[in-house]
Amino acid sequence: MKEKHIIEILDNGSITSLTEIELNEVRDHARECESCRGAYEAARLSTLVLRSRAQSTIEPSPFFQTRVLAALREQQAVESVPAMLRLWSSARALVSSMAVTTAALAVLSFVFPAPAPEPEQTAASVFSADSVIMDQNDEQMSYEQVLSTIYEEDEAR
Amino acid sequence: MDLARQAQDGDESAFAEIMRRYSPRVFSVASRFFRQRSLVEEAAQEVFLKAYTQLGSFEGRGSFEGWLTRIATNTCLNIIRSAKRRPESTVSDLTEDEHNWLEQQSGEDDDPLAIENSLVAADLADRLLSVLPPEDQQALLMIDGEEASIKEVAEATGWSESKVKVRAFRARRKLREAMEELLGRKGKKADSLAREQVNR
Repeated sequence: MKEKHIIEILDNGSITSLTEIELNEVRDHARECESCRGAYEAARLSTLVLRSRAQSTIEPSPFFQTRVLAALREQQAVESVPAMLRLWSSARALVSSMAVTTAALAVLSFVFPAPAPEPEQTAASVFSADSVIMDQNDEQMSYEQVLSTIYEEDEAR
Repeated sequence: MDLARQAQDGDESAFAEIMRRYSPRVFSVASRFFRQRSLVEEAAQEVFLKAYTQLGSFEGRGSFEGWLTRIATNTCLNIIRSAKRRPESTVSDLTEDEHNWLEQQSGEDDDPLAIENSLVAADLADRLLSVLPPEDQQALLMIDGEEASIKEVAEATGWSESKVKVRAFRARRKLREAMEELLGRKGKKADSLAREQVNR
C-alpha cells in the first residue's frame, strides 16, 4: 500500500468510521513504514482528543430559564415603546446640550456686541489711476478725461 | 408545533416549556464552540431570544429541534466571527500534562476507538482546533467527535453535504498535520532530555 493511499484513507474519514479490514490494512502498513506510522498515530490521537472534547458539554444552570425570560420581557418592553419616543430618549441629551449652547451664544452676542469693522485694506492704492476712474461718475467724465488721467500717471512713473 | 404557535401568540409558559425541553440541546451545541460556562450561557440566551423572534418562520416541515439547532449553530458562529478571532498559524508547545497524556496514549493501538475522557485531552483538542476556521472546527467536531453523519451536519448548519465533506476533509488533514508536528516536537524534546541526562 502506498503512503499516499494510507494518508488519503486517514483524511477521508474518522478512524472510527473505518471497517475492520481497512483498519488492519492501515495498521499493517504503518508497522513497516515510518512516515505512515506517524500519520496513523497522529490521526488516532486526533480522534481521541476530539471525542474527549465532544464529551465536555456544559449543562444549563437552574437560573438560566428565569434569566432568559427576564431578558425577553426587557426586549419586549423596549420594542413596545414607539420609535419616535425611543429616538427622542436616545437623542435627548444631545438636543438639550445643543439648545443650551445656542442660548449661551445668543446671550454672549448681546452682552459683548462685535466691534465696528475697520475700513477694508486693499492691495491697490486708493490713489491709483484705476481707482480714480472707477470712483468717478461715468456721466461726469468724458473719454478724453479718462485717457488723460491714465497718461498722466504713466508720465509720472 | 403547538408549543411554537402558543409561544408566538405570546404565551410565556409555552416558551418556558420550549426552553426546558431544548436547553440541553442548545447547550450541547454552544459547548462545541465555547468552554467557559459564562460564554456558553450567553450564547444559549441569544439563541433562545433569536428563536423567539423567529418563531413565525418555523413552518413545521422539519423537527423543531433541528430548526433550533441550526439557529444555535449559526448564532455561535456569528459570535465567534464578530469576535474576529482568526485561526492560529501554529500550535504552541505541549504542556507537561498534555505531554504525559500523549505519553500514556502512545502505542496503545489495541483499541483505537477507546474514548479517553479527560480535561487534558479536551484542552489539547481546543489548542489543535485553534488552527482551523470555526466552520471547519464544527464540521470536524461533529463528525469525528460526536460521530454525526454528513447529512446531520448539513442539516444542523444549513451547508450542502459536499461543503460539509470538503470542510471535514480539509480540517481532518490539518488537524492530523498539527498533531504530527506536536508529536515530532515531543520526540525531539525527549531526545534532548535523554542526551542531557547522559552528559551529566
